[in-house]
Amino acid sequence: MESAADGPAQPRPSTGRPSWGLPFGRARRRSALSPSSRLPPAPRRTQVKAGAAEVAEDTQRTAFLLRKQWTLYSVTPLYRFSEAHLRDYSRLLSAFVAAEKKKGLAVEIGGELDIKVSVTSLPDLKGSDRDQAAILVQLSSRSSASPKNSEEKVIWSGWFCCVAGDELSENLPEAFTCLPLFLVNGAESNTAIVGTWFQKTFDCCFRRLSLSPFNLSWMAAMWTGCKVDKPASATELVFSVPRLPHPLHISYAINLEDAQALWATIQKTPGEITQEEVDVFMDCLYSHFYRHFKIHLSATKLVKVSTAVASAHCDGIIKFRQSQYLTGVLMLLTELAICQIQ
Amino acid sequence: MDETVAEYIRRTVLKIPRDEIKTMLQKWGFLSEAQLQTINFHQMKDNISQDVVQLCEENSASIKQAAVLDIIYNHSYPNKRIWSVYQMNKTEEETDFFDLTDFRKKFKRQLRSTLKNVTINFREYENNAVWIRIAWGTPYTKPNQYKTSYVVYHSQTPYAFISLSVLKSNLPLLCQALVVASNYQDIHEMELRSHSLNSLEDMVFKRYSQNFETYCPRPLQESTVAQETAGLRIVQEDINEKERILRVNREAFGDGPQPKLEFAEYKLETMFTSDPKLEVLDKKEPFRCMVRFHSPHLLESLKSLAPAGMADAPLSPLLTCIPHKARNYFKIREKKGLFPGSFVSP
Repeated sequence: MESAADGPAQPRPSTGRPSWGLPFGRARRRSALSPSSRLPPAPRRTQVKAGAAEVAEDTQRTAFLLRKQWTLYSVTPLYRFSEAHLRDYSRLLSAFVAAEKKKGLAVEIGGELDIKVSVTSLPDLKGSDRDQAAILVQLSSRSSASPKNSEEKVIWSGWFCCVAGDELSENLPEAFTCLPLFLVNGAESNTAIVGTWFQKTFDCCFRRLSLSPFNLSWMAAMWTGCKVDKPASATELVFSVPRLPHPLHISYAINLEDAQALWATIQKTPGEITQEEVDVFMDCLYSHFYRHFKIHLSATKLVKVSTAVASAHCDGIIKFRQSQYLTGVLMLLTELAICQIQ
Repeated sequence: MDETVAEYIRRTVLKIPRDEIKTMLQKWGFLSEAQLQTINFHQMKDNISQDVVQLCEENSASIKQAAVLDIIYNHSYPNKRIWSVYQMNKTEEETDFFDLTDFRKKFKRQLRSTLKNVTINFREYENNAVWIRIAWGTPYTKPNQYKTSYVVYHSQTPYAFISLSVLKSNLPLLCQALVVASNYQDIHEMELRSHSLNSLEDMVFKRYSQNFETYCPRPLQESTVAQETAGLRIVQEDINEKERILRVNREAFGDGPQPKLEFAEYKLETMFTSDPKLEVLDKKEPFRCMVRFHSPHLLESLKSLAPAGMADAPLSPLLTCIPHKARNYFKIREKKGLFPGSFVSP
């Protein structure tokens, strides 16, 4: 893959951190390198491959990741993060969360909630051995009103991961850990608390990862080409036309078999996808639509792509549907996150 | 007064916006004007509803009166429900004189013959619209007043608007009761659905302003819309094109306000064709797609696409036909024969 920038992402010392007042995750970093996430990605990508069959056990452990909505962030490299100290991090983060909650920033109704924090590693969730294994942070609550009935409910999950992140990690100094992708499910207030702690402790920076129509088109083409078991499935594209007197949304769902048949005639090299092929695929779908409705979909905004493999929304929200393609999708997202960081 | 009736009245009053409660209770007419004077309509809704229940208790309200209040609420706020359109037909040409009493009797008898546990109430409104409220029970349980369906039957027409909102299994019973009571032979669902009952009625009874095909040799009066959207440095060619788009749009959609629909759905089973240079898919089977358009005001939204540059003018007849075909669900297949690329919708 081409490298969009030369040299490593420079390690950032304590200056230039976002202040606490700024809304979490929205701080903009001005760096010497162009921060635009619209940098043209590599013109060629490998087709998402299904994971090997022997990861059945892995599937069990990562099953909880499926069919949930995850909000995406890019994260700059973590300074002096160590996988050996996860228990300590749990403790420290726990104390921080408790302190923040007491501040009254998060208002609780109906009794004190005991919040337990766990920071664990997901060793199988990575691309190659060069990648750092994924780190999972979970907040669970147990109502202190009935301590006997100690049913813990996970109320917030966030995980850092890196799949095929060589482009960023290979040039990093030793003290830095490369986990450029962060996925969150849970209340925004908890995300802000956990994120603030990580930013303070490891001097990193979180930024919402939005997905442009350009990225979404890639996903549509790439994921349509994946073989899945589910027979009755569709590749759905959702378009939005907001700036009309009355906003319009268009959902265009193509029967998966037919979409795959189309893609099969476009993709020239198995296992590889080019920009040109993605463009032809989308143009075909747009012109089929135009033929019927005389509407130029290319003039509207592609906001969501939904396939049997995964769905992605332009606000940076993803849903994984197939565990066998989990790593493949994460690889694409890692690439986009790295693009945004650089 | 039954506790369930009291609770039902309380909840119905809570649904009404505070400023409308007094008017609606007056329309209802169950509480006297003197009684209504005793209620403070500026307090919290919770308290207002408690006061209303109290007064209903004094008047010994039954489920029948409570049901009427619900009908009045739904008549004022029909857009909270989703309505489907049904058309009935019969072979004889003559229209019988519509007798509401006879209709009510037959409807109740037919429905109760298959399902005893139902609450049925009627209310007639202007333009011969009969509102029917049905609360459904099961063979073993009393009617659940919160599981209701509504029918608006325009007695001088073969049309009924149904908001089922509960078990689909009740639909055949409902349809049969309607057919029998109104002396028709059968009933079928039209491919038309919306939250806006008024718009559905407009479309079905052709009450919106349609474009009548008249030959108009002089260009039509320019509307103010063109001036608003004109850029400052507009070139003559652009003006012509913009005028053409507006004129063509007007011809397709008519001049007046469009009926209010929220969505249209197209099931496409047409062939995929493309530029032969691309050498892509050349299957002989249909390229199956499902297209859904959503908007708070779909037709106005579609009308604005061409002037905004996102669509051609004229817009596809698949879209412009929605009002006069009175449907928003379509299945499109390829028309075989002379004109490839043209579509037929059953």
